[in-house]
Amino acid sequence: MIWDKIKIKSVLPHRDPFLFIDEVIEIDGTDRVVAVTYLKEAESYFKGHFPGNPVMPGVLIIEAMAQASAILFSLDRPEVAKEHPDYYLGKVKSEFLAPAYPGDKLIVESKKVKFLDNAAITDTLVKVDDRIIAKANLIFSIKKR
Amino acid sequence: MSKNYEEEIRNMVSDILEIPVEEITPDADFFRDLKIDSLKAIEIVAAFEKKYRIIIPEQDIPKIRNLRQVVEYTAPLKKESHT
Repeated sequence: MIWDKIKIKSVLPHRDPFLFIDEVIEIDGTDRVVAVTYLKEAESYFKGHFPGNPVMPGVLIIEAMAQASAILFSLDRPEVAKEHPDYYLGKVKSEFLAPAYPGDKLIVESKKVKFLDNAAITDTLVKVDDRIIAKANLIFSIKKR
Repeated sequence: MSKNYEEEIRNMVSDILEIPVEEITPDADFFRDLKIDSLKAIEIVAAFEKKYRIIIPEQDIPKIRNLRQVVEYTAPLKKESHT
């Protein structure tokens, strides 16, 4: 582990129950990060999505990819990130290839496509056991509070 | 300046902004007239960079405010990238 939850919280404005990154396990300069999300069986969304057949909602998988991307942005633009801006998703092109279940360990990878001070584009993917379960191209804005 | 290149850029901008090609006149201001925001701006910049294999420095982006300026700015870079 390279970053623990404390370090992650120092960069991301998200908090439980909406913080989806548990660890950062790889950092390749400012080009790529790999993070981990542990899907605990007790997560509240599993109760309703779906009763008797719990799977992680796709929108939350996208949220995990977006949070990993915000971490990557903070590495590329530390002077912007230190002001603790808000991150807003603007456009998502996504593909879901397999479900994520309680107990899964999501490997969330984000690669830089283009970063500016007020906007960013990343290519992201999520794996479970080396199998890609989701891919997305994200465009998000960064706004000072 | 090649008319084909200008048309190519106009079509690209039209696709990204999802507005008719006719509205993207050479002097229509991206921000004031076409109402683009930071998300659309970065999308356009990234699309140019990918298609023409060029890098547009961040400090130059605010200076490129209409189609005419895009063509004038990117044409020399495009030429360099192919030499």
